[in-house]
Amino acid sequence: MPKFTLDGREISFDPGETVMEAAWREGIEIPHYCWHPGLSVAANCRMCLVHVESGRQMEMPQLAFDEKKGEYVPTTKPKLQPACQLAAAEDIVVSSTNDEVKTAQASVQEFLLLNHPVDCPICDQAGECKLQDYYYEHQATLKRKLTEPVHKPKGVRFGPTIIYDAERCIMCTRCIRVCDEVAKDHVLDMRERGNKNEIVLAPGRELDHRYTLMTEHVCPVGALTSQDFRFKARVWFLKSGQGVCTGCATGCNTHVDYDPRYGKVYRLRPRDNADVNKYWMCDDGMMTYTRHDTDRLLMPTTGRGDERMPVGEDEALDLAAEKLKAVDASKLAVVLSAQHTTEDNLALAKLAAALGADQLYLAALGGWEGDDILRSDDNNPNRAGATQAAGGVTLKSVDDLLADAQSGAVQGVVALGWASAEQLEELAPLTALDGVVSLTSHVGAFPAVASVAIPVADIFEIDGSFVNDKSMPQAFRPVLAPPTGVDPAWKTISALAGKLGKDLGFQDLQSLRQGLSDAVEAAQ
Amino acid sequence: MAVEVKVIKKPGRTIAEQVYIPEIAKGLGFAMGRFFKNTFGPQAKKEIATVKYPEEKVEYPERFRGIHRLTQRTDGSPRCVACLCCSTACPAQCIYIEPAEYDPDDPRYGYERYPSVFMIDELRCIFCGYCVEACPCDAIRMDTGMHMPPSTQREHFLYDKETLLSIPGRDGSYLTANPRHEPGDPTHPGVDRERGH
Repeated sequence: MPKFTLDGREISFDPGETVMEAAWREGIEIPHYCWHPGLSVAANCRMCLVHVESGRQMEMPQLAFDEKKGEYVPTTKPKLQPACQLAAAEDIVVSSTNDEVKTAQASVQEFLLLNHPVDCPICDQAGECKLQDYYYEHQATLKRKLTEPVHKPKGVRFGPTIIYDAERCIMCTRCIRVCDEVAKDHVLDMRERGNKNEIVLAPGRELDHRYTLMTEHVCPVGALTSQDFRFKARVWFLKSGQGVCTGCATGCNTHVDYDPRYGKVYRLRPRDNADVNKYWMCDDGMMTYTRHDTDRLLMPTTGRGDERMPVGEDEALDLAAEKLKAVDASKLAVVLSAQHTTEDNLALAKLAAALGADQLYLAALGGWEGDDILRSDDNNPNRAGATQAAGGVTLKSVDDLLADAQSGAVQGVVALGWASAEQLEELAPLTALDGVVSLTSHVGAFPAVASVAIPVADIFEIDGSFVNDKSMPQAFRPVLAPPTGVDPAWKTISALAGKLGKDLGFQDLQSLRQGLSDAVEAAQ
Repeated sequence: MAVEVKVIKKPGRTIAEQVYIPEIAKGLGFAMGRFFKNTFGPQAKKEIATVKYPEEKVEYPERFRGIHRLTQRTDGSPRCVACLCCSTACPAQCIYIEPAEYDPDDPRYGYERYPSVFMIDELRCIFCGYCVEACPCDAIRMDTGMHMPPSTQREHFLYDKETLLSIPGRDGSYLTANPRHEPGDPTHPGVDRERGH
């Protein structure tokens, strides 16, 4: 591979790469605002200016103050080039730290802050703002301008999700490029020039495509803020865990930002993964975190409708076991969930096998539109994983379950998860059965028709994995502790099996995952 | 090196001291003398180091850190912009704030936010004054010169926004000593697109 030198370090590059890209790949960050690895090059922020010290020097005339003469005299200075647009060439010597470059960086930084309101205390970006970081790194001087800064519109509503503040904006055009290149919808553009510059909406439009939150995500400053996250938390209080989006079968990788003091998730951010979501996520995916603490089932319940009563955890398991024992194994339906992890589904499939129940069904969500950018046509994160967990057994649909329940072929049900495309009215035939056990993190149609509902941990509270629509298994780690008395579903299933007098052959997640590879082999 | 021993002579006692009784009488005489002087004597001659708290109080130093107050703007609204700098600086984590946004019609919309909930647990507070240092708006001050009024109920020490706004400073003022341009003031040069640049 050809090489060039950056600040005394040899960096190899693929022909066609820019200096910025090659350095980024090596883990070196040349200061920048407008460049983003997933977007086209605009080269308008001028923060990434570097000096090519090798080869013929381009000189630029300037006036410099001469201390001896006490006046300005004409001199020259080297012309700097933006690293984001500078194609890497063999053996060039590039400096991003020499005096010329440092002066340029400090000047650009001062220029960008010239009309900036510096309202960091009320800005949501504070703490993760590039203006703040680079101010300390590359400027750290007082502002010389003493006049009132130019005032521009603040708090402009761009759409249902995004609020824009023109005073904080540095006109890097990342948001415009995200709309153009990721969402393929040219809804944002720039208006006026110089200090009157601002981002505007296309006439008669709102920022309402499916990737609006990405504009906020790429904004290096606090100009674009998300309506959802706005003023909710200060980012320095948040910790970040690694998750996988539950919105659809693409399985975008996420950072789960949560406040450890309150045990509350505040937002998701895309986690870079070149094979899955690159740098992006869709709005619906970003908002899936709101499911976590709405409509949770926190106590086991028994009975239906008005007779629903909370019971203790152990009693609930006893009651569930008692009801399931009363059902003949051949007439017991086991419903896997495309919203639960592969491990949870596998544990349930093992329970089915141990009981001798061979009627497996799959509950999944519906009512979703995919697209050819990121969104899969299936809005269940783990249909493939549930299918793998079932081994060779074909999974029947919930419609089949309802038909079987009405024909009498099914007399008891164990269902995993709250999610089903079918609403409560459609599942009504199941209320005729006595033994309907629902293991669920949230309330929903299945828990509503169940005679015993047992709470299990939600996605942010467990170790597990999803298999996405490209058959890639993706594991994630828990970020929050589950509510008191609530266990991950695989553990609850194991406890239920114990009450039924069966041993499912796993004690922890590791031995359960061993079974997973067996199931995959069996399916093949 | 030889250790030098210095012999100190034990102070002797006189016969009168060894008998005790005259000494007791002397001591009681001194104590009773002070008692009558401090109880019935003229005010100027009294020698009392303590004060009769709570009827009497000592003057606190000028920079005494008392319970917090939130300063007001001239229209009575809190100067606080709910930036959470104070609760970030607070080592006792006794400040809880929920920020909210002004109405879009309000001239402060976009420039500022305000606390919808501002709660200080005065029992948890260690009165270090970091919140005052951290505040960029001079919105929280500890210049009230007041203690917490005692109570037998914990809830009484949770000071909410209204309580904190209703406590004046030592000078009796609810405002700040450091006024500045506020968005919404007629003098504030905020410009919107309709009025031109």
